[in-house]
Amino acid sequence: MNQQAEPARLMCSRCDRDIDSCEFCDEPECPSAICGRCVDLALGQAIAQPHGHGG
Amino acid sequence: MSPRAAWRLESFGFTDVYDYAAGKLDWLAAGLLTEGTNAERPRAGDVARRDVPTCHLDDVVGEVRERVAAAGWNACVVVNDQSVVLGLLRSKEVQADGDLRIEQAMRPGPSTFRPFVPIEEMAELMVGHNLETSPITTSDGRLVGLLFREDAASAAHGMHRQSESNSGGEGS
Repeated sequence: MNQQAEPARLMCSRCDRDIDSCEFCDEPECPSAICGRCVDLALGQAIAQPHGHGG
Repeated sequence: MSPRAAWRLESFGFTDVYDYAAGKLDWLAAGLLTEGTNAERPRAGDVARRDVPTCHLDDVVGEVRERVAAAGWNACVVVNDQSVVLGLLRSKEVQADGDLRIEQAMRPGPSTFRPFVPIEEMAELMVGHNLETSPITTSDGRLVGLLFREDAASAAHGMHRQSESNSGGEGS
């Protein structure tokens, strides 16, 4: 039987989102990979948004 | 500043007032002057080395390697004619086959960071990710400089020492 190994999934170490590579170091096998949104929040390049609904 | 703040300044009698429509983050990202207590903290744009060598997509690795080494560097930022960052050669890519065009050897579209990012946060992530260099750019992608991990860590360490010294050595 011809079985192909699935490529390892990479997840953001902070929010568990699936990502292709670490947004900070660009490495696809980064042990502490982080997504773009979490990088922006960690570095103050963006601020966390409140709920979109009006409460 | 916001339009309301601009109008308020005019009400104080200032006559040369502008509304910076792109917003405060864009102002900071361009590395423009700021004031206040927070402005005294060192940031990525202050610590990044601005004399980083640059090259273009059509350059050849061998020629770039010689130029970079002669300047005492082991990294080079790939830019276009508008100084927009298109790629990066870290030490590994600088050592690639000398006949390759830069476009073939570079790390394309590297993650870039804004000049206003506090140096402690950059240092922490660069050390944690074992990242030797990070390009610092404006929000429209223009090169400001190249931040080295050891420079970031050293600046962050200096900040902590300064902060401890200002608080009379508490907690040491």
